[in-house]
Amino acid sequence: MELAYLDPGSGSMILQILAGGFAALAVTARLYWGRILTFLRIRKPEDEVVRANEQADSA
Amino acid sequence: MPTETPRQDPRLEPGSFRDPESRVFYAGDDVLRTLSADGLRDFEALASTSFYERFMQDGRLVKTELARSTPDLPPGLIKESAGVLRHERIPFVSYPYEWPFSMLKDAALLQLDLLLAALEEDMILKDSSPYNVQFKGSKPVFVDLGSFERLRDGEPWVGYRQFCMLYLYPLLLQAVKDVSYHPFLRGAIDGITPAQMRGLVSGRDRTRKGFYLNVFLHSKLEERHGDRGGEVKSEVKKAGFKKELIVANVKRMRKTVQRLEWSPPQGVWVAYGERNSYSDDDAKRKDEYVREVVTSEEWGLTWDIGANNGRYSRIAAEGSRNVLAVDADPGPIELLYRSLRDEGDEQILTLTMNLADPSPGLGWRGRERKALPERGSPDLVLALALIHHVTIAANVPVAEFVDWLASLDTSLVIEFPTREDPMVKKLLAPKREGLHPDYERENFERVLSGLFDVERRERSSSGTRLLYFARPKGSGSPIDLAAPEH
Repeated sequence: MELAYLDPGSGSMILQILAGGFAALAVTARLYWGRILTFLRIRKPEDEVVRANEQADSA
Repeated sequence: MPTETPRQDPRLEPGSFRDPESRVFYAGDDVLRTLSADGLRDFEALASTSFYERFMQDGRLVKTELARSTPDLPPGLIKESAGVLRHERIPFVSYPYEWPFSMLKDAALLQLDLLLAALEEDMILKDSSPYNVQFKGSKPVFVDLGSFERLRDGEPWVGYRQFCMLYLYPLLLQAVKDVSYHPFLRGAIDGITPAQMRGLVSGRDRTRKGFYLNVFLHSKLEERHGDRGGEVKSEVKKAGFKKELIVANVKRMRKTVQRLEWSPPQGVWVAYGERNSYSDDDAKRKDEYVREVVTSEEWGLTWDIGANNGRYSRIAAEGSRNVLAVDADPGPIELLYRSLRDEGDEQILTLTMNLADPSPGLGWRGRERKALPERGSPDLVLALALIHHVTIAANVPVAEFVDWLASLDTSLVIEFPTREDPMVKKLLAPKREGLHPDYERENFERVLSGLFDVERRERSSSGTRLLYFARPKGSGSPIDLAAPEH
C-alpha cells in the first residue's frame, strides 16, 4: 500500500475495521429487530423498508 | 481564473514541509503553493468536483487560483514543481492552542464535513490537522488544498489517528473533564497520543459517548499492534478497506463531536452580560475616547489585549480592517466567539492567551508555529484595564511591559489605574508592602513618554483611571505630561 506522508498507525487502522464492523453489526441488528417486529405484527412491512433505507443512509 | 504572478524574493513557509507534494511559500505579499506532479493531479481532480466550487463559494475553502505563469520558486524544494496555486491571504494566523472550545469544535466539524463531501466524489483528506484551518474573524476556513487526494482502493482513513490526537481528545478533555486542552496542544505539536489520553481518563469514562472506541480500544490496540506496522498494513490491504467503512466511521465521529459541549462557569456569564451593559459616566467616556481614536484614521490590524468580553474590540472594528481580541481567560473569549459567530462576523478574531506567557515558536527549529508578533505587527494596540494585571499580578516591571509594547512599533491606547483604584488595591492587598514601587503614575508616564510620543491624556471622572493615546517615538506630536491636566 502506498501511504501518504502521515503514518495512519497500525492500531488505528485495526480500530477502524472493528468500528466499521460495529456499525455494520448495528445496522444488521436493527434490520433484524425490524423483521421481528413485523413478524409479530407490531409494525407494518412497509415501515421496515423505509427504516432500513434510513438506517443505511445514516450508517 | 489564472493570473500573473509577480517575481519577488520567494521564501518557503517554515511550517510547511511535512508533505513534500505541496509546500507553501511567499513572494512579496502573495501566498503561493507549489505542487509536485502528483500533487497537481490531485488538485486537478479536486477542482473538477462539485463540492470544491460549493465550499469555495461560501468561504469554507480558502479562495484559490492556479497561477498562469510559473513564478520564481524558493530554494530548498525536494520535489520538482509542476504547478503553483495562489491563495487568498488570511488576515491573521492563529493556532488551536489559542482557540476557545467552540472554535476548535467548529474547525473539527468543518474538517469532517469536507471529508464527507470529498468521499462522496471519491476523494479524501490525507491528514486531519487543525493547523489546516484558519479563522477569518469568526469564520473557519480550510486552507490546505494540498490535503485533498484521490481515494485509493483499500486505503483506510489515514487521518483518523491525527483527528483523535489534535481534535477529539482535546475536545473530550474540555467537554467531559473540564480540563483545558491549551497547554497540551501547545506542549506537543502532534497533540495527545491515545496512550496519554487513556492515562488522563478514568475507567468510569468507558461508558461515555465517544470514549470506548476512540480512547480505550484505540490505546489498547495501539499498545498491542504498534510495532507491527508493515504487517498490519498489508493485512489491511488484503482485507480491502471499503469506502463505506470510512464514511460510516467519519459519520459516527461527526455525531460524537457535534454532541460535545462546554460552557464557561456561571460567573463568567454574569460578568459577560454586566460588562456589556454597564453605563456609568466613566465607562461612557471610555467608549467615546476609544471610538475617537479608532475612527480618527483607518487602521489595518488592531490588537485588543485583555479584551475580556470584546466591548472595545467591537468599537475598534469600526475603524480597523481587522481586530485581534486576546484574553487570558478562555471563558469570556468563548462567549464573545459565539456572539460573533451568530452575527456572521469576519473581522474580529478571538484568541485566548496569557500575555505574561505568550505563544512561543514551536515545532522544528521553533519555526513551524510562530510567536504572536511574528505573525503580523499591529497598527494600533488597545491595552485597557490591563497593565495592573500584568505588572502587579504577574510581577512584570512597568518599564518591561511598556518596552514590550514599544517593540511592537505600534500606536497605543493605554489605561493606567492609579494606586487608589479599587481593582489595583485588590491586586496589591495580598502583596508585601513596597513590592511594586514602580507602579506609580509618575514613573509610568516617564517610561511611556520615553518610548512613545504621547499625544493625549485624559483622567476619568472618578479620578482613579487615566487614558493615554501614543504613537511610536518620532512619529507623533507629543504633549507635555508635566503640564497640568485638562
